[in-house]
Amino acid sequence: MPAHPHIEVRDLKLVYRTGPKTETTAIDAVSFSIAKGETLGIVGESGCGKSSLARAFLAYTRPGARIAGGSLSVAGLDVLKLKPDQLLAYRGRRAAMVPQNPLSSLTPHLTIGQHLVELIRLHKAAGGRTPKEKALELLAAMELPDPAAIYDRYPHQLSGGQRQRVVIAAALVAEPELIILDEPTTALDKTVESQVLDLVARLQKRTGTTLIYVSHDLNVIARMCERVFVMKDGKVLEDGPTSAVFTHPRTDYARSLIAAIPKLETAKPSNVTPFHGQGAALSIEKLEFSYARPPGWNPLRRLFPNAPQPPTLADISLAIPPGTTLGVVGESGSGKSTLAALVAGLAAGNGGEMRFDGQILSGLAPQRDRDLRRRVQMIFQDPASSLNPQHTVEQLIARPLQIFFGMSRAAARERTVELLTELGLGATFLDRSPRQLSGGQQQRVAIARAFAGKPDLVLCDEVTSALDVTVQASVLGVMKRLQREHGTTYLFISHDLPVVAEMSDQILVLEKGRVRDYGDTTAVLSDPSSDYTKNLLAAFATASQQLTNRTMKHAS
Amino acid sequence: MVDVLNVASETTATPRSSTLKRALSQPATVFGVILVAAHLFLALFSPLIAPHDSSALVGAPLLRPSWEFLMGTDQIGRDYFSRIIEGGRIALLVSFCGVAIALAVGTILGVLAGYVGGRFDEIIMRFVDAMMSIPEIILIAILTLALGKDIWALIPVVAAVYCWGVVRVMRAKTISLSTLDFVRAAELRGETRLAIILREILPNLTGLLGVELAVRVSSAVLRISALSFLGLGISQPTPDWGLMVQEAMGVVFTDPWFLLLPAVMLSTLIIGVNFMVDGFARAFGIASTEL
Repeated sequence: MPAHPHIEVRDLKLVYRTGPKTETTAIDAVSFSIAKGETLGIVGESGCGKSSLARAFLAYTRPGARIAGGSLSVAGLDVLKLKPDQLLAYRGRRAAMVPQNPLSSLTPHLTIGQHLVELIRLHKAAGGRTPKEKALELLAAMELPDPAAIYDRYPHQLSGGQRQRVVIAAALVAEPELIILDEPTTALDKTVESQVLDLVARLQKRTGTTLIYVSHDLNVIARMCERVFVMKDGKVLEDGPTSAVFTHPRTDYARSLIAAIPKLETAKPSNVTPFHGQGAALSIEKLEFSYARPPGWNPLRRLFPNAPQPPTLADISLAIPPGTTLGVVGESGSGKSTLAALVAGLAAGNGGEMRFDGQILSGLAPQRDRDLRRRVQMIFQDPASSLNPQHTVEQLIARPLQIFFGMSRAAARERTVELLTELGLGATFLDRSPRQLSGGQQQRVAIARAFAGKPDLVLCDEVTSALDVTVQASVLGVMKRLQREHGTTYLFISHDLPVVAEMSDQILVLEKGRVRDYGDTTAVLSDPSSDYTKNLLAAFATASQQLTNRTMKHAS
Repeated sequence: MVDVLNVASETTATPRSSTLKRALSQPATVFGVILVAAHLFLALFSPLIAPHDSSALVGAPLLRPSWEFLMGTDQIGRDYFSRIIEGGRIALLVSFCGVAIALAVGTILGVLAGYVGGRFDEIIMRFVDAMMSIPEIILIAILTLALGKDIWALIPVVAAVYCWGVVRVMRAKTISLSTLDFVRAAELRGETRLAIILREILPNLTGLLGVELAVRVSSAVLRISALSFLGLGISQPTPDWGLMVQEAMGVVFTDPWFLLLPAVMLSTLIIGVNFMVDGFARAFGIASTEL
């Protein structure tokens, strides 16, 4: 590490106002220094203060937050004491930020070119060329195809990955010494994320910029950063070289965080023999689905022919043996949620056949008989949306008990307590409302509600993607236990390949509504047949490979 | 196994009781609540406090304030203080009843249009558009002519004016609620449409209903005052702020308080309701764009 620190943080304290006289501490007297050109990763679960810390580098606080003490200097400049006009000169020119959601950080009615030219003019960064030339140069440096065409496009005409590249270009306009990336790839699909990360790594190597990378995804940090902070409750629990922290975490918290990362290697060896649909819990044969016509006549469709079309499914066939899990992987728009909706009866297919336990599944849920509805249950992605905020936990879980088993209030209450206990929650939760629960607790309530009907098949639609990693690990643990104890069959949908690999006996890879790969987990992971699956695997593998490489470097 | 890791100790969000505390921690909200409480108190008990019969001629016209007539007398010799404190009573009562009807009808239509959708939605909403395209004052004039110039006839008039806006608000909120997964979950359980509306959707509209009630009642009071001013609303000798403003027109340059006092009464009511609703809506997490 070079002798003179580039960034020096001393006793930085940031508090949030929670009431007229009460405050909570978001960053608690943190001190550290960063050398020039270093890449620092900040990890931690939501609410640990990592985003607040990242913003502090730009002397920016969220509404209601206040820096309560300490200092932060970048190259000798005391950032927190800058006057408004000095701040304007500092932000963007000395330090820049790449925010999480590229769509909300671009103005919809301005073209990409207008965005960049404005910044180039503001920072007088054209360097002898016209602003347009400089902007095109930046777009080319972002490895965007056809910069001249992108220059004239509007943000909504770009893909998520392209938008994020544009936002990174905007951050690089004035060649700042410090770039803060706040979860820049969280909204992107895995293969796109991988490309964007490679780009950032190359740019960093070329320019020697100091990089601070905030993410909850430890794989991303392992891939991008030499040094890592593990944050919890506003404190830096661990600080050290990434490889050292990841291989020898000193605190229990860091250990649980690292242990909770699903890795592709942990895929369980499947002992299921090739299965051909005899006695399957769920079998689907050549399922087709498409929206017959766009809902309503829509003149805007003509103006925006590139607007995303609702996903369609074609020629889907699969069979899940009872008591096992079929993982469905695919990126957003691949049609995986549509598949779950068709099985659940939220939408009706246009062709093919679905059988559940030999019985033909057809029509929408209201037309199916009660016993069938009871036996096929669904757990949704976001418990904040799937649990009615006006109901108590008891009402939420007792309702299916009353509907499916005609239980009396008292009997339903007793059974609800049993279910809650089974999920590690207990009777004290009966009268709570969902908003009084954490995300992990909410999802457990949702799982309890799904299991209230004693289902044979549970459709799990991205059940852990709204949760932090350690919470995700515990929820997945609960689901595996329930499957073992009740012999339930899962259709497990996720965009996260390691999670699917951990959960599933079989994997089905969907792309644009078509099956790209289907087979036993080990077979698909070790010998994918389609290029699409290979790319997907590579995107995840590089992340964990990087972790292994760093670990080996550290060991030697 | 990480299975049971920290499940019970995970952070929990704010319970309801503290939401009320948070609302009342804002000085503007407290100010609003006090104003509204004072107006409600007057509306309920003013006849008991009023020193004189507000419609009786009790003294000479245009007397200066004295211990007997705290604010003097008006142009024809009625006690002005009694008239001021009683001037919002009838308007508030009529507004409250009218808006309550508007909310009931509007919510039923709006929720049905939003949840059932399709052709049903189309028919209701085009009818609402048609009703809203009629200039309000013409609608009121037609209805008053048809129903007669009685105080109680104003209730259906208020209901007819405010109903359509409520339909739109409730339909919009219902549509956004219908996209949430708890409605999907209820459909998968096989709940009937009626059960979904009553159990899943309506409970989530209560906050919005409270806000709508307060805002529209205060707006209806202003509207009724305007009607009284034009001679379409409350008529003599009942005291009413709008009517009093109209009476004051003749003496506005010599005795401006006849104009100012009823205007102040009206504004304090409306400002109070707005501050109160704003504070509560924010504390309960209802976005101001939904108001």
